Amino acid sequence: MSDQQQNQYPDTKNSTSDNTTHFGYKTIDKKDKVSMVAGVFHSVAKQYDVMNDLMSFGVHRLWKRFTIDASGVRPGNKVLDLAGGTGDLTAKFSQLVGKNGKVVLADINSSMLNVGRDKLRDKGLVKNINYVQANAQYLPFEDNSFDIVTIAFGLRNVTDKDMALRSIYRVLKPGGRLLVLEFSKPEYELLNKAYDFYSFNILPKIGELVAKDGDSYQYLAESIRMHPDQETLKTMMNDAGFEQTSFKNLTGGVVALHKGYKF
Amino acid sequence: MLQQAFFSSLELLINKTLSLNTTPIGLNKLEQKTLTIVLSELNFPISLSVNNNKVLVSGLTNRADCTLKTSMQTLQELKTNQQLTELIKQDKLDLTGDIKIAQQFASIAENLNIDWQSELALHIGDVPTHKLMQLGKKVVNKLQFSAKQIQADASEYIVHEKRLVVTRSQIDHFNQQVDQVSKQVDEITTRINQLTKGLANT
Repeated sequence: MSDQQQNQYPDTKNSTSDNTTHFGYKTIDKKDKVSMVAGVFHSVAKQYDVMNDLMSFGVHRLWKRFTIDASGVRPGNKVLDLAGGTGDLTAKFSQLVGKNGKVVLADINSSMLNVGRDKLRDKGLVKNINYVQANAQYLPFEDNSFDIVTIAFGLRNVTDKDMALRSIYRVLKPGGRLLVLEFSKPEYELLNKAYDFYSFNILPKIGELVAKDGDSYQYLAESIRMHPDQETLKTMMNDAGFEQTSFKNLTGGVVALHKGYKF
Repeated sequence: MLQQAFFSSLELLINKTLSLNTTPIGLNKLEQKTLTIVLSELNFPISLSVNNNKVLVSGLTNRADCTLKTSMQTLQELKTNQQLTELIKQDKLDLTGDIKIAQQFASIAENLNIDWQSELALHIGDVPTHKLMQLGKKVVNKLQFSAKQIQADASEYIVHEKRLVVTRSQIDHFNQQVDQVSKQVDEITTRINQLTKGLANT
């Protein structure tokens, strides 16, 4: 990481006012973030799965499997896969909830939703999946309607995370649970340094080579650094009303899975 | 995370194996049913759920219709002999939930019949497959012969040769006797030398 980047990281984390937010390391007007993030994901949607495999060396599949195993999903459950993108979690949930269950794949970005829908249809998964274009801050669902809500690698792109958590809390049934799978802060200093080097030097180059879009992957690296760390996110979940919140670090804290219940 | 890698590989292996069976295997009776296996050798459960004629492997335990607690060895016995009741009586297996689900999974495993030769031929061709199979048979025969030979030699040694083998005490006794003879020879040598010397002086 450059000096400039290092200096920006701690300073900008809590420096936004009511009308500003982060877009990577940039501070922007809140009203602009949705369209700017949308621009990133419209750009990467078609290469999203390939890039995920390349960037994480395929480990993202194991992180997602871990999320499924931690969800405690049962046949007949109603699941909301928020910021579900290309539908990796939806595919598994769809099989596990069975014909009496329902999975809603929601994403704010139409390009990601289209790629996800095509992929799931190609896999023959059609019966119990609904697709909804939705903003996590203003979920268009009734109160108490889902047993499980997951948001994998999506929360950091949301403009107002507290508002999104409150919105998720509202749509969860009592006894329901939220699982947030998101990049986080590595537990070990050495891993942190290696991760920084990889994120800021190698990742944008892979993005440039494969997806022909280095800037979007630069944003990805910056947005990960600006995302709240494990303890902060846990506190945010508690503040939104979730109970028995906990987190589990995966791959040395590169990713963390947060879990909270609504009672 | 290793758990998830294991589940992923196992899921792939099971579904691939099922797809290679000579006659299509119908999993309809097990649709949306889950068998959870808790093996004493592993510190995590393995749940097998069926959806749309595919087996999903996960660590989800709260959805089990049948839970089987056992060991790898007992699982092998279960697969080959279908001795479910007998194994429960012997306390080698603890089963809770719907026993039919465990029986159906066991029955699928028992009835698997895969034509490996045809499958391999699809990938590498008929002639290489034939040659490879011949080589495989030869290697298997050789290994079986060697195993039999080792077994026969081992029993021959245990039953007959072990009794004829010289024991440690016998070796010690023999060494003592050799030492004694050597000592006696030395004494005789000394005596002969003395007598020879005496004769020379007279």
